[in-house]
Amino acid sequence: MACLYIPVQNSEEEVRVALDQLPRDAADILDILKAEQAPLDLWLIIAREYFKQGKVEQFRQILEEGSGPEIDEYYSDVRYERIAILNALGAYYSYLGKIETKQREKEEHFILATQYYNKASRIDMHEPSTWVGKGQLLLAKGDVEQASAAFKIVLDGDRDNVPALLGQACVEFNRGRYSESLELYKRALQVHPDCPAAVRLGIGLCRYKLGQFDKARQAFERVLQLDPENVEALVALAIMDLHTNEAAGIRTGMLKMQRAFEIYPYFAMALNYLANHFFFTGQHFLVEQLTETALAVTNHGPTKSHSYYNLARSYHSKGDYEKAGLYYMASAKEINSPYEFIFPYYGLGQVQLKLRDFRSAQLNFEKVLEVYPDNCETLKALGHIYVQLGQTEKGQEFMRKATKIDPRDSQAFLELGELLISSDSGAALDAFKTARGLLKKGGQEVPIELLNNVGVLHFERGEFELAEQTFKEGLGDGIWLAFIEGRENFQEIAASESIHQYKDVQFFQQLQDSGRQVKLPWNKVTTLFNLARLQEQLHNPETASILYRLILFKYPDYEDAYLRLAAIAKARNNVQLSIELVVHDALKVNDKCPNALSMLGELELKNDDWVKAKETFRAASDATDGKDSYATLSLGNWNYFAAIRNEKRNPKLEATHLEKAKELYTRVLLQHPANLYAANGAGVVLAEKGHFDVSKDIFAQVQEAASGNIFVQMPDVWINLAHVYFAQGNFALAVKMYQNCLRKFYYNTDSQILLYLARTHYEAEQWQDCKKTLLRAIHLAPSNYTLRFDAGVTMQKFSASTLQKEKKTADEVRSTIAELENAVRLFSHLSAASNLHFHGFDEKKIDTHVEYCKNVLDAAKPHLEAAMREEQQIRQRQEVARQVALAEEARRKAEEHRKFQLERRKQEDELKRVRLQEEHFQRIKEQWKSSTPASKRRERSEIDDEEGGNSEKRRRKGGKRRKKDKSSKSRYETEEVEAEMMDDQEDPEDEDANLSYRDLASQNDQDDAEENAHDPLAAAGLEDSDAEDEAVPSTNTGRRKQAWSESDDDEPPERQPFSRENSPELQESDEEVREDGHKPNGNAAAEDED
Amino acid sequence: MKLAGLKSVENAHDESVWAATWVPATDTRGALLLTGSLDETVKLWRSDELVPERTNTGHCLGVASLAAHPSGLIAASASLDSFVRVFDVDTNATIATLEAPPSEVWQLRFNPQGSTLAVAGGGSASIKLWDTATWDLVATLPIPRPEGPKPSDKSGSKKFVLSVAWSPDGKRLACGSMDGTISIFDVARGKFLHHLEGHFMPVRSLVYSPIEPRLLFSASDDTRVHMYDAEGKSLVGVMSGHASWVLSVDVSPDGAAIATGSSDTTVRLWDLSMRAAVQTMSNHTDLVWGVAFRPPGGSGVRAGRLASVSDDKSISLYDYS
Repeated sequence: MACLYIPVQNSEEEVRVALDQLPRDAADILDILKAEQAPLDLWLIIAREYFKQGKVEQFRQILEEGSGPEIDEYYSDVRYERIAILNALGAYYSYLGKIETKQREKEEHFILATQYYNKASRIDMHEPSTWVGKGQLLLAKGDVEQASAAFKIVLDGDRDNVPALLGQACVEFNRGRYSESLELYKRALQVHPDCPAAVRLGIGLCRYKLGQFDKARQAFERVLQLDPENVEALVALAIMDLHTNEAAGIRTGMLKMQRAFEIYPYFAMALNYLANHFFFTGQHFLVEQLTETALAVTNHGPTKSHSYYNLARSYHSKGDYEKAGLYYMASAKEINSPYEFIFPYYGLGQVQLKLRDFRSAQLNFEKVLEVYPDNCETLKALGHIYVQLGQTEKGQEFMRKATKIDPRDSQAFLELGELLISSDSGAALDAFKTARGLLKKGGQEVPIELLNNVGVLHFERGEFELAEQTFKEGLGDGIWLAFIEGRENFQEIAASESIHQYKDVQFFQQLQDSGRQVKLPWNKVTTLFNLARLQEQLHNPETASILYRLILFKYPDYEDAYLRLAAIAKARNNVQLSIELVVHDALKVNDKCPNALSMLGELELKNDDWVKAKETFRAASDATDGKDSYATLSLGNWNYFAAIRNEKRNPKLEATHLEKAKELYTRVLLQHPANLYAANGAGVVLAEKGHFDVSKDIFAQVQEAASGNIFVQMPDVWINLAHVYFAQGNFALAVKMYQNCLRKFYYNTDSQILLYLARTHYEAEQWQDCKKTLLRAIHLAPSNYTLRFDAGVTMQKFSASTLQKEKKTADEVRSTIAELENAVRLFSHLSAASNLHFHGFDEKKIDTHVEYCKNVLDAAKPHLEAAMREEQQIRQRQEVARQVALAEEARRKAEEHRKFQLERRKQEDELKRVRLQEEHFQRIKEQWKSSTPASKRRERSEIDDEEGGNSEKRRRKGGKRRKKDKSSKSRYETEEVEAEMMDDQEDPEDEDANLSYRDLASQNDQDDAEENAHDPLAAAGLEDSDAEDEAVPSTNTGRRKQAWSESDDDEPPERQPFSRENSPELQESDEEVREDGHKPNGNAAAEDED
Repeated sequence: MKLAGLKSVENAHDESVWAATWVPATDTRGALLLTGSLDETVKLWRSDELVPERTNTGHCLGVASLAAHPSGLIAASASLDSFVRVFDVDTNATIATLEAPPSEVWQLRFNPQGSTLAVAGGGSASIKLWDTATWDLVATLPIPRPEGPKPSDKSGSKKFVLSVAWSPDGKRLACGSMDGTISIFDVARGKFLHHLEGHFMPVRSLVYSPIEPRLLFSASDDTRVHMYDAEGKSLVGVMSGHASWVLSVDVSPDGAAIATGSSDTTVRLWDLSMRAAVQTMSNHTDLVWGVAFRPPGGSGVRAGRLASVSDDKSISLYDYS
């Protein structure tokens, strides 16, 4: 046991003080020391002893007494001890100042320490220990340069002064000059091999900083050998263990960290590391406690920053983004430049991204990028932000850079692919494929979402087989395979029940009951839906239907599947079932679903339920606050149809509807300037108003834009374009356009387009082409009697025009007669059929027509006989002439020439005679016309009151109606609206929506023909019932007839002299026929021109 | 089960070819292929080389349908002007000209016994039966119209009859209409039996299986071929795969396969045991209006033959094996 002997003054005795039994009250010792005037070194020893025992108060008391003025006086010549006491006090206060966290007290402590050191200096300004103390103080104050100067003073005097060496080493370390620091530590150790563990700690830290980890580890371990409780060494070793990034290393590291924590729970770095660890283990409560403690015990900027970062991260992962953001900011504030500690900026960026503060996030990520220009995650984040900010190109650029820097980062390719979907599907597909390849190479499972996207892209590019493969790969094994491959027979149903087939999910129930597993994981639904869509596209609607039903069996709320089923039913013309699916199923899931409502509207239109359809479209539009382009366009179309429907009745209403339609189309165009359907609609309205050049431009652009995507099928724009060509008289182009459209979109099956084609031929006076086209149309649509009527009219017209020709052969006349006979037959069929109400023609009108034709025919027959006789004669004479000519030729050429001329003159005579006969025929015709009973005329003029106006007005109307005819088609196309609106979001689900939507469109396409045919009827259906009988035929046929008649208006002038011979009274009868709208033949029209 | 192209004749007609049928072989000659076209002619083609035998004229407005008597001696052709011309195959002598205004004429079929010619009557919503001995109209089988307040509304045109088919025993007659319904008649009693539902678009072609008398195949604009048990009123199978209207269907003489022609320009061969298309022929470039298997019989013609005709003016002959 260590003892201290205080010599008793003026004696040889000594007071024995056991150092481990120092009195609690320092005053007792002080009394002794003072009384015995003990040497000052004893004071110091006792004070130090108190300090060692942790009795800081006593330590301070003794030293303060020992440095008092009395002592200075009494011991004035004992310089070294006095300095030592002062230095001890200085060091003590330096330490206090160093650990004090409150700024004011800290400074107070430092001031005291400075005072003590200054006092010591005053005693002997060369005392090295004072300088060392001062240096330490300056270091504690963070004044590295001055500290260095202080230490240098000492070292200049004694280059082996260990404390100064250590101090200087510390300075160098702080300056970041680790090798110099290491040298100084080493020297200190050489000079003083038994120096405390802390010196070796310094060496370890230097080596660590220099990257000499093994040597650093040795140094730390040596420290721990010497001082097993050395927290710093423990922490340092722990950190090194943690950084090995191996499970075992991390485990031992954490154990060390824990021990350090147990030894000294206020070591900030250890706390931070522990917090870090618990962050990863998810114990956020501990994280907060630890970091809060760490924050409380340290003032060190980077450490605090780290603590804040831990805290922020903890909140971040808990989803408290506001708080996380604040702490990230606090963390960032603690450091001077992002180069020191970049993580908080990254975290802050992430949080801001989450909170959709893209600008700030962008700034933070850019800071990160400054430090780590090749950091993929940051590049990706920035790419994403730029996309969100609308700078897609820049976003892609970043994403591309990310993929370039790490071409094995499947995630980056995935994101790049998603970015590209909307702009460049080809590049997107490549990116996705790369991602898939990388994942496969890495042995990872390829996520179904990725395969789904790849599949959809293939699908969109028309690569159906690849798409199917991909979808199947994504779906893997399951019950659906049986359906796709047709192994499961799901078709046995009684025919009477087949109507409900599309709603039936019982089948799956049965399968399940019979022990089969019917499973469909939720993440495969989308892909299965897409596969079903693909099956539709591949013309396997049955397979598609069963897949949709499988989805619905498991997920009865999947609206899109109902809508697709409805679309399939609609494609089959099963409107009732389709409506049922929409109303009872899809709308039950969500009665505000705009897609379902729009579809319902379409179906109601198909059912001629105009008023209902309008309400439904409006509901669809309301459901989306008017943002749903499809609904808006549907309304626009509705108005357009209404305009056409009402044209005859109320021009004012027509203008209103047209204006409304235009407004709606424009509204959509404002929202989506690239909406093809709206553009098309706008073009139609313009064409309707006669602005053909503008509308032609629009249609041409839409047509160009619509090509190249299998989901955008816009035959209507082709038709509209053709209509415009037609209206501008460019028949050849119009014909080409109609034909291309027919072939490209309708497999040549659309009788309505054939009708347009026929009309163009008619206008171009290509009668045979016109007739053939109409016959084809009849063959395709046998129940459309209008076509037969038109065919009849064409043949009439052909006959008439042939008869009007100045030169014609008997063969021509004969074929003319044949055509007339056919026409009569067609008309009389129509007439007979009208008794049975096959079609909507008015019986009386047809009768009139038949009678007329028969009369013409009767008139023509003798004419034919005459023509034939004539021809016979001509032929005989020609024969004679030929023989004569031959004979003459044998003689002389000049002679022959003269003969030939003679012969020609004869021929002309013949022709003249023929023409005379034609005129005769014509007259007979006219006579017949005038003989039409007047009573009938009156009756009719009553009915068609407004039509009875002057011919000027009629012509105008005719022109108008022609436009209508033309655009009656176009409107339908506008109907297929849809598409665009749902444009491509990255989400695969949205992709689905697209799919279904687009399909709706194509459905519409299919329906066009039929709807058009029925349209006038539909129009009629809305009118009051007593007018209906009249209205049906007039609307149905009037349109076309009007077209014929219009062409007559343009009859070439050379024919006019011929008709001028007619008497005025004949005109009246013509007028009458025209009133009927039956437009008997060209002559009548030509007369009108007179 | 496969088809192999044997011979194609481009521009066989001047215009779209709309109809094709085989005239069975007689003692004096082999089977002939009969084709009808929009160019208003009917042409006869001989042997696997499709040698033109003769061109019949006399129709107006395009020949829409053809039928051959089981004896192989006479045939009937019908055109859009609603005339049916019955002629002697070998001499082209007109035997009769049939019309029943206002009924139009669409598909024609002789019954297997050869005693009756059934004609789909279009808008008259009926089938006309003509006696082949006297060429008198012996019966009109009307399709019952759905009850409705206004007979003149557009539902009227929906029962428009397009196609007819005789059961192999000649006791049943099936007809297909514009609205997709198929009606089955008891011929002997002249009575309508029932409808077969499932199509909602025009049924342009119907054929009974030669080996299973109840089995009826229907081709519709809805792109599907349905397989019905015509007696049990049940839909036995649905075969889809055509991209557009199915215009024509015929069943092979062995009853194991059917062939279809579609406006998607393809001819497909379907294996009935698999109910799946086993082959798709793309010889044609436009709508395929008719497909016809050659009936068995005649000297040295055991091999199966299938003919197809198209809007592209061509006819094609395939070996079916």
